[in-house]
Amino acid sequence: MLLKELTEAFGPTGFEDEIRAVVRRELDAMGLSVRTDVLGNVIASTGEHHPGPRVMLDAHMDEVGLMVTHIGEGRDEAGLLRFRPLGGVDPRVLVSKPVYVGERRLPGVIGAKPVHLQEPGEREKPIPLEKLYIDIGARDADDARRHVKPGDPVVFATAYEELPRRMAKAKSFDDRVGCYILLEAIRRWKTPLPVFAAFTVQEEIGLRGAHAAAYQIQPDIAIALEGTVAHDVVDTPSHGQSTVVGRGPAITVQDGQTVADRRFAEFLWETAKARNIPVQWRRVKGGTNDFGAIHRVGKGVVGGAISVPVRYIHAPTQLVSLDDVQHAIDLVIAVLDEIAKGGFRP
Amino acid sequence: MNDWVMRLMDWVAPSGSEAPVVQALLDEVRPAADEVFVDALGNGIARKRGEGPHLMLAAHVDEPGLMVIDVDDRGYLRVVSVGEVHARECVGRQILFTNGIAGVVHADLSQQGELGVDALIIDVGARSREEAERMVPIGTAGAIALPPFSWDGKVLTGRALDNRLGCAVAARAFRALADRGLNTSVAFTAQNAVGARAAQAAAFQLEPRYAIVIDGVTADDVLKDRPVVALGRGPVLTVMDRATVVPLEAKRAVEQAAERLGLSLQYEVSREALGDTGAIQLSRAGCVAVGLGYPVRRAGAFAMTADVSDAEALFQLVLAAAEALMA
Repeated sequence: MLLKELTEAFGPTGFEDEIRAVVRRELDAMGLSVRTDVLGNVIASTGEHHPGPRVMLDAHMDEVGLMVTHIGEGRDEAGLLRFRPLGGVDPRVLVSKPVYVGERRLPGVIGAKPVHLQEPGEREKPIPLEKLYIDIGARDADDARRHVKPGDPVVFATAYEELPRRMAKAKSFDDRVGCYILLEAIRRWKTPLPVFAAFTVQEEIGLRGAHAAAYQIQPDIAIALEGTVAHDVVDTPSHGQSTVVGRGPAITVQDGQTVADRRFAEFLWETAKARNIPVQWRRVKGGTNDFGAIHRVGKGVVGGAISVPVRYIHAPTQLVSLDDVQHAIDLVIAVLDEIAKGGFRP
Repeated sequence: MNDWVMRLMDWVAPSGSEAPVVQALLDEVRPAADEVFVDALGNGIARKRGEGPHLMLAAHVDEPGLMVIDVDDRGYLRVVSVGEVHARECVGRQILFTNGIAGVVHADLSQQGELGVDALIIDVGARSREEAERMVPIGTAGAIALPPFSWDGKVLTGRALDNRLGCAVAARAFRALADRGLNTSVAFTAQNAVGARAAQAAAFQLEPRYAIVIDGVTADDVLKDRPVVALGRGPVLTVMDRATVVPLEAKRAVEQAAERLGLSLQYEVSREALGDTGAIQLSRAGCVAVGLGYPVRRAGAFAMTADVSDAEALFQLVLAAAEALMA
């Protein structure tokens, strides 16, 4: 199952080799023209020489993770791994989580002092990042060094599983769900139109790969496909939810790096409504996606984002609605269809 | 100029919602231009080919504001800021949206601590979620309503003074340079208040050799006895802001032009200001870009004040500096 394979693939920012291999395998099987650029972005194109606006669809391959910074020496922490986040990770979600260290997937666990041994003061505060470590069961520092080096990346060891009511859990729905939507949309897309599928690197540390991808593609229209924050759970007022899982893909009006092109946002909205695809506004300003970098490249690019609501985003286990995923694929196809028919002129 | 500036100030145009003001400005420069167009990011651009190296004028059109991000079941709106907005300045005021709908900004002022934009609640008199969403759809931007006012024709106050006054100066300067047959362009830029996002795209398309960026500069003459920048003391040369240091060639040209005109010049050295100059300077292979401004009390806020005589002097300075650079 492709979504399972994509979410379980290893690929924190800067270490996208394994996820890139999965993406390339899928694209090659579709017979598309595919290349990997110097930063590691994968760019596939179809209909490049047809008339019509050049449309860039973007999904980032990298995921948030951790990076080993040093291997503990001395009696108390011999062989324990100290680490820093790779991308935006809340230290409070890390304690006791199973992880894989390095691309060979050495199993480990993020350790912390058991509750029995904590001082009363320690129990009242979250454990700061500096006090956390990864335990790989090494006997001492030399033993750990045989398996791990500073700079090795770490991912959460979360298996993809489907839950009742068309929900699924996994690590890295941000943004493997975007990769999945983009792969499935481009697989189904047959109409002649210059369409470029960009699977980018290093989004989680500042939208770094997308800039170079857009520079190469020089699109007229760009759409980022993303997993986005949802907090539609108990006691959250409407204005604190951002998005609601199960209500369809979300469209951005403003985020941390983008003020939406109103005309394009409404085009996305009306296209969804006309085809009975559920759709919602993303009701938060915080966070961003690759479109924040793409729209500023060169002479400027018109476009926006189509996002799938993700509960517990940037945490070890994230939840999505598979219906939202399907509706996002349908919406991407519908939008390409409208653009091909001249329904939106950039 | 005053009447026209005050008309320009009537438009509510937070970053991303600049289109009507951009059109009004392009209408003003169209007779002098070879071509005018609006680009993908909303910059309005006019180009006039002529003698000498290409000099680009730029002035941002947008202003900070608030944007509807949520509507609750009772028909009240929540907002996020567009650019930097102090929530305290909004409470109890009227907000005017780009579509002409007005609302009132509420907040519980008895609450302790910092008041954030997320604590603001807007009442547009709607009786239900559906009615409110029809009136002001999610994504609609607005700004605190402050009708412009002029004291004896010299000192102007109101919303969006920064940088509609600068747009008026840039439009006039473009027409004057074009009338002299010089190789020039003007960009009325979008999205400055959110971090100078669109100016680089304008410069990318125009590929100028020189650029003069016209903007309001914070005057500190209300709170300080010995201000660095004050109203009525003439135009301002931006030596440094968050994204640029003025090139010596441009600094000399401006200073010599000011001396020739007998104008006193003020200097801005700021760690906070973020004009479009840096973005334009670094577009493509780079160009010689300089920021020139007029003093504005409470620049970047909603209620602002400027002295039109500073802008008149700035207009003369822009022309003289442009000719010095292009010579």
